[in-house]
Amino acid sequence: MSSSRKVVELFYDVVSPYSWLAFEVLCRYRNVWNIDLKFKPAYLGGVMHESGNRPPGMVPNKFHYMTTDLKRLSDYFGVHLSPPSNVFEAMFEKGTLNAMRFVTAVAEKEKGGDMLVERVSRELWKRIWSTDQDITQPASLTEAGLKAGLSANEVEAILTLSKSQPIKDKLKSVTQEALEHKCFGFPFIVCYVNGKPEVFFGSDRFELMAHCIGEKWVGPQPANPRAKM
Amino acid sequence: MSNSRKGVKLFYDVISPYSWLAFEVLCRYRNVWNIDLTLKPAYLTGVIYGSGNQPAGANPSKLMYMVSDLKLTSEYFGVPMFRPSSISEKDSLNAMRFVTAIAEKGKDGDTLERVSRELWKRKWRTQQDITQPASLTDAGLKAGLSANEVEEILTLSKSQPIKDKLKSVTEEALEYRCFGFPFIVCNVNGKAKVFFGSDRFELMAYFFGEKWVGPQPDKPTVQM
Repeated sequence: MSSSRKVVELFYDVVSPYSWLAFEVLCRYRNVWNIDLKFKPAYLGGVMHESGNRPPGMVPNKFHYMTTDLKRLSDYFGVHLSPPSNVFEAMFEKGTLNAMRFVTAVAEKEKGGDMLVERVSRELWKRIWSTDQDITQPASLTEAGLKAGLSANEVEAILTLSKSQPIKDKLKSVTQEALEHKCFGFPFIVCYVNGKPEVFFGSDRFELMAHCIGEKWVGPQPANPRAKM
Repeated sequence: MSNSRKGVKLFYDVISPYSWLAFEVLCRYRNVWNIDLTLKPAYLTGVIYGSGNQPAGANPSKLMYMVSDLKLTSEYFGVPMFRPSSISEKDSLNAMRFVTAIAEKGKDGDTLERVSRELWKRKWRTQQDITQPASLTDAGLKAGLSANEVEEILTLSKSQPIKDKLKSVTEEALEYRCFGFPFIVCNVNGKAKVFFGSDRFELMAYFFGEKWVGPQPDKPTVQM
């Protein structure tokens, strides 16, 4: 077994439910696989626009498929996904620019590790994709930050930081990084295999990805492998 | 392991490389999972435009992704393929009418499978034409049809009933809210469950109460 960890980058935006699935899987596998997981909070709206793609939900049959698909994946992945009551409003009208700037600020401030980025990201996903709550207002981001273990002072500092030019630029630059890999949607995973980047789009390529990085895939819940039939 | 046969319908078009992958997996798992596999030759362009979707290849970034993804995936699936330099949406209309004619003639189940495979190989392995009568003839002969049979099928494929049949199977896919291929409809305890793409077999196995061991059941890569 190789002693050097394989770098795995996850480009994601909390607007994306499939990104939540990929995120949880990679968090579960980070100590199972010999990987160096790097979170890359980015802006899906920017990726869509720059790559000339369209949100899948804009095609009625895709939207219909995704609704059923997410329900069954929620069960299979063990991630409590529940679409917001007004999906179009949550995803396209309100959007996630503030939320992703907030996550970016957490990432910039956090030294030595990414536990806070992980927790804050998860709290935001839970808000939009589980409990149908807002993630655009300062009060919403504050609540998510507190739930993630930040103090009230820390949250306030991050909120302020999130509105600064350097953070806006940082979010832009991570989004640009995704675009340089020819990204067109999230989740977008970049694995470095012998120094070469291999890209995987979606939350349904882990079996293939495992094969490429020389690891074993045992399903989305490695601690609870499916019971043998 | 469940003993009852499970109904599985595969809507496909030979212009679609991921459909080839799904097709091979289902053929391999047919007896492993006790599947009653029904092949549904249909017209991808009809589904794409009928659902208001766009061909994936129309987006430059998606196209680039598909090129590298197919390299990795086809190797993992044990279905060698190479992207042809040019693909036109309308490439497969004649081919799918030809395949439909074979399905309608009610030849033994294997013939439909073999002809579909020969057409995929032409387009996606040896990068040959699949639009001309000579190309379809070649595929038919390679699949084991006689010259007479091929000629008969070619004539039939240009008939109105066959054109209508291809249209109606395509409509059937759209009735399931299809937006692309491969599109797999599984009957699980009397309920239809739909799966898009060639990367949902693990999930399908879960619903069937079956084991997924990777795309080549004789060379397991996972134990699920």
